[in-house]
Amino acid sequence: MAMSFEWPWQYRFPPFFTLQPNVDTRQKQLGAWCSLVLSFCRLHKQSSMTVMEAQESPLFNNVKLQRKLPVESIQVVLEELRKKGNLEWLDKNKSSFLIMWRRPEEWGKLIYQWVSRSGQNNSVFTFYELTNGEDTEDEEFHGLDEATLLRALQALQQEHKAEIITVSDGRGVKFF
Amino acid sequence: MLGMGDFYYKLGVQIIDVCLALKHRNGGLITLEELHQQVLKGRGKFAQDVSQDNLIRAMKKLKALGTGLGNIPVGDTYLIQSVPAELNMDHIVVLQLEEKNGYVIVSDIKASLKWEMEQAQQGLEHLLKEGLAWLDLQAPGEAHYWLPALFTDLYSQEIIAEEAREAVP
Repeated sequence: MAMSFEWPWQYRFPPFFTLQPNVDTRQKQLGAWCSLVLSFCRLHKQSSMTVMEAQESPLFNNVKLQRKLPVESIQVVLEELRKKGNLEWLDKNKSSFLIMWRRPEEWGKLIYQWVSRSGQNNSVFTFYELTNGEDTEDEEFHGLDEATLLRALQALQQEHKAEIITVSDGRGVKFF
Repeated sequence: MLGMGDFYYKLGVQIIDVCLALKHRNGGLITLEELHQQVLKGRGKFAQDVSQDNLIRAMKKLKALGTGLGNIPVGDTYLIQSVPAELNMDHIVVLQLEEKNGYVIVSDIKASLKWEMEQAQQGLEHLLKEGLAWLDLQAPGEAHYWLPALFTDLYSQEIIAEEAREAVP
């Protein structure tokens, strides 16, 4: 299971779970919440979540402190993450979301760097090979979830550095 | 041999460094205890030991140089103010009430200071506005107003290098 997670000092500070009325303080608070959400999801290898799950997760519900971030405030935090490019809603009702501790463009860059470094431009890979192949074991993107991978490759596709194609048993990508 | 002047000069610089690094957390207000702890941490094994009296003297010298670090007596210690927030006597007495629990509620202010509701509210609103206090609406009973500067959990934490880097403009 997850290694012991180091909660930031704010997590034990009761007012952290009340959206602050003072604008400057709120900016600091939201910044801290965004960092916390990303670190938490990164450590727990959680790439997607529903809002209902989020409400009850220790992330937003500090049982010991008897404080939980109310759902309207959770929505504010999620919207901040969306604006920063770390979150994408998976449905129109905004009930579940994809959370990416690195933005798709950043993942795309890392993947493309690996491709170039290993001299594999103009090669074709399946999605599986990229995230689970032996060759990528030492890479940060090894084990990346498919939804995030897809968005990373789409970002590269936009830059004309890759093209997503269909292969016999799923999806693949060709790098230029 | 380093003269006393050098000792206090260097200590003054250290004090300012600590205040700057933690300002984003506590709004520019820090207890003498925490300041002392953080200064000692920053000095390492071979540095001379520093007492709270040393800190107070160093701050007096800084003041003489025109670098104001305000001292607010609370309980049997001090809150050091490193950012020139507008604080009058009203605000200071509210800060002093916070010292016991790290937070204060309107009823306490009315009871201890015999203020009317409006004056109490205004005092607290001002602390919120200056970024010195945070609002807690989930406390049992009334709204609680907490001072990060008095949040004792902070004492045990190192100034994480990353935070310090982020804090300096």
